[in-house]
Amino acid sequence: MYEPQRLRRYGIQPVLRNSLGSALIVAIALFFLVLLAVLLSDTPGTTLRYFFLGPLQNTYSFGNMLNAAIPLIFGGLGISLAMRAGSFNLGGEGQLYGGAFAATIAAISWSSWGLLGGIAAVVVGALVGGVLAGFSGLLRMKWNTNELITSFLLSNVVVLIINYLIAGPYQDPETNLIATRSIPEFMRFTRILEPSNLSTGFYGALIAVLLVHVYLYHTKSGYELRMVGLNTMFARYGGINALWYRVWPMMLSGALYGLGGAVAIFGTYYTSMREFLLGMGYNGLAVALIARFRPAMVIPAALFFAYIESGARSAMMHSDVTFEIASIVQAVVFFLVTSKVFQTIGTHRRRS
Amino acid sequence: MTDVDLAVAMHGVVKIYPETQLHANDQVDLTLRKGEILCLAGENGAGKTTLMKVLYGMERPDSGTISVGGIERTITSVMDANALGIGMVQQHVMLIDDFTVAQNVVLGKEPKRFGMHLDVPRSQHLVNEVIKAHRFSIDAADKVASLAVGQKQQVEIVKMLYRDVDILILDEPTAVLTEQETEALFSTLRALANQGKSLILITHKLREIRAISDRVAIMRQGKMVGEYETATITEQDISRMMMGQSVSLDVVKPPYHRKKRPIITFKDVFVVKRNQPRPLLSHLSFSAYTGEVLGFAGVGGNGLGVLEAVLGGFLPVSTGAVFHDGKDITLRGTRRARSDGLAYVPADRLKVGSALYATVAENLIVASREQFTRFGWLQRRKIEKHADALIGTYNIRAQAFSPIGTLSGGNIQKVVLAREIDRLQDFIVFSEPTWGLDVASSRFVYDKIISLRDRGAAVILISSNLDEILALSDRVAVLCRGSISALLSPEQVAQVTKEEMGSYMLGMNQQEVRDV
Repeated sequence: MYEPQRLRRYGIQPVLRNSLGSALIVAIALFFLVLLAVLLSDTPGTTLRYFFLGPLQNTYSFGNMLNAAIPLIFGGLGISLAMRAGSFNLGGEGQLYGGAFAATIAAISWSSWGLLGGIAAVVVGALVGGVLAGFSGLLRMKWNTNELITSFLLSNVVVLIINYLIAGPYQDPETNLIATRSIPEFMRFTRILEPSNLSTGFYGALIAVLLVHVYLYHTKSGYELRMVGLNTMFARYGGINALWYRVWPMMLSGALYGLGGAVAIFGTYYTSMREFLLGMGYNGLAVALIARFRPAMVIPAALFFAYIESGARSAMMHSDVTFEIASIVQAVVFFLVTSKVFQTIGTHRRRS
Repeated sequence: MTDVDLAVAMHGVVKIYPETQLHANDQVDLTLRKGEILCLAGENGAGKTTLMKVLYGMERPDSGTISVGGIERTITSVMDANALGIGMVQQHVMLIDDFTVAQNVVLGKEPKRFGMHLDVPRSQHLVNEVIKAHRFSIDAADKVASLAVGQKQQVEIVKMLYRDVDILILDEPTAVLTEQETEALFSTLRALANQGKSLILITHKLREIRAISDRVAIMRQGKMVGEYETATITEQDISRMMMGQSVSLDVVKPPYHRKKRPIITFKDVFVVKRNQPRPLLSHLSFSAYTGEVLGFAGVGGNGLGVLEAVLGGFLPVSTGAVFHDGKDITLRGTRRARSDGLAYVPADRLKVGSALYATVAENLIVASREQFTRFGWLQRRKIEKHADALIGTYNIRAQAFSPIGTLSGGNIQKVVLAREIDRLQDFIVFSEPTWGLDVASSRFVYDKIISLRDRGAAVILISSNLDEILALSDRVAVLCRGSISALLSPEQVAQVTKEEMGSYMLGMNQQEVRDV
């Protein structure tokens, strides 16, 4: 897999060729969906109509679909960035949850600071995610431990600790929910596309994609990061501090997850509920795999994932299938994207 | 001699590696008699290991036949080879440190209890029987991690004997051993031959060929030179057949001007590694001067690779000092070395010299990326222009945005050369610069090296290709066992024969090393 360097000058062709494998995966997944609908539903026509058109039929469901894509975009970016450096961040769950929780508490504590407090709270969310993932990177740099394992284990611990904090010391006594207090009204992101849940946080996600792309392909640090990921020996030979790029990309990756958590709080939930973002970390991984770790492709990949979920929800409400149909389709996608065959379709072969 | 007396007969074996179009084996014939010890000798890259991998089923030959015990066989896997009674001990021991000797030995052919799980006591018993029968100094219950290198090698041999092999191949078995361990190994091998096993030893050490073998087969540049009774030929003969006649590379070199300024100086450098019985480099002292090519010759495992790693900043020196233009640069990593002006063409152009999935333009800026950055931003247009200019100058068959992995070997090397020569300040290191390249590409590299020398750079050329060393170098240092066994002046380089070079390289002869 390689980066087409001058897309603008050489047209859209390379992009299409690089996306061929991903397009095929989507097609196969949708074929499975039709098959499942025919097998499981008494009214497959209705089921499929709601599945495919439900998410697009009104602003409410369309907006909610876009909203569901926001954490997926942040997660997909986080994974892609780490992968570009040859690091595997499997702790997205904990980083997302930790970022969200920290941002919530910070926003509540600093409500007297006005908007500044809100901004500081978002930064705290990103920092917490960054520190959690960066710690795994540091372990790899110091003792060459496998960051995949350490980030995964650390994430599990963090999830349990935050579960305790939300149910215990930080639980809002005024409700019966297992949740913290809500962040102040003035800090919340503006809603767009009422009556859906979509907020200006969506723009934030798009800006994040742009920033990650620019960082990777237009800065010296991004260049060094990619060279370490492509061939660590080569990077060392060129005089790049390869050890530093065991830590830094993990920090950035975790910070993106943490930011995703904070944006979910400020745009959608306003409060941290127990395990409210569960599974989002892993879905970010699937999104990054479909996008083949290319930041720009994270947007369509995340939208596709959100579309499947939203479609399943709509089909469930109007027909006789259950929500699990979405999980099955996602599982098919997940299964296919990890196969070597689909990764090599459309990529360049080495001439001998 | 009839075919029945032959353990193995290989005929017309051809093996071409598709990546480089290199003929690793070219119409090679080899015979191995029952109960003999045969040494397979040759320089690095002569095709010895490839030939043995073909016999052991690790490589598929492009053509040729193999007969084992007089019957023609097709060997497509290691399992096939084992079933035919062929075993091979690789150059580097491949054992699982946390397992016991017995566990390592039976791995892949375990005695089972109820056809299901590993029968531990029985496997220990079986392995101990093999060990006792051949008087090895290890115990089946020992943890492999606690063994010395020589003992680990015994485990590898036991592993093969446990599989009941009649034909045993050993790839440079003494490379990591001390004198005593080598002696012990040789008496084991002799005992095995007396029991009727047939052995092939890959080696390039003349002394060992003399000490152990009944016959010797000599390979050069993928071809079999011949098979001889060891008693009937001299070490000089073997050395000459390994090195071959001088091939004129037809390099025109302006005359050498006497010493100017030392650029790179090594002072009594030692490199010691843990678990290695002897130092990788010892007492290494030399200077590379402006306007000369200083060649380093040697046989593999004698320090050429280590010297490259030290010069490239990958390996710290243990004691001694390295100076660049009078400035102490000892113990600086590659990053500092690069900012001090290191230009370096590595031996492994694919794993070290390039990032195969990155574009040619990206590969070209890795060592001088600061020049293409302003306030942390890459200057894309400048990078592209730079790439286009170098592609033009070096006649590279590629575009700036092609991934370098899609280029041919010769063109990849041109990219590496372009990058390193472009940032040259006062010295440059070339390691095996023409490995695997065709004649035209090699020619190009030679012309570049000579032109750099004439521009006044200090060129350090590390190469196991003797023709290349003798044609290009003004002075030649020969490395043997990590230290310089001979340092030849320009006059001596012009006169030296390949036999003499061979005797220095193989440690039969030592020149009094003065001029450093």
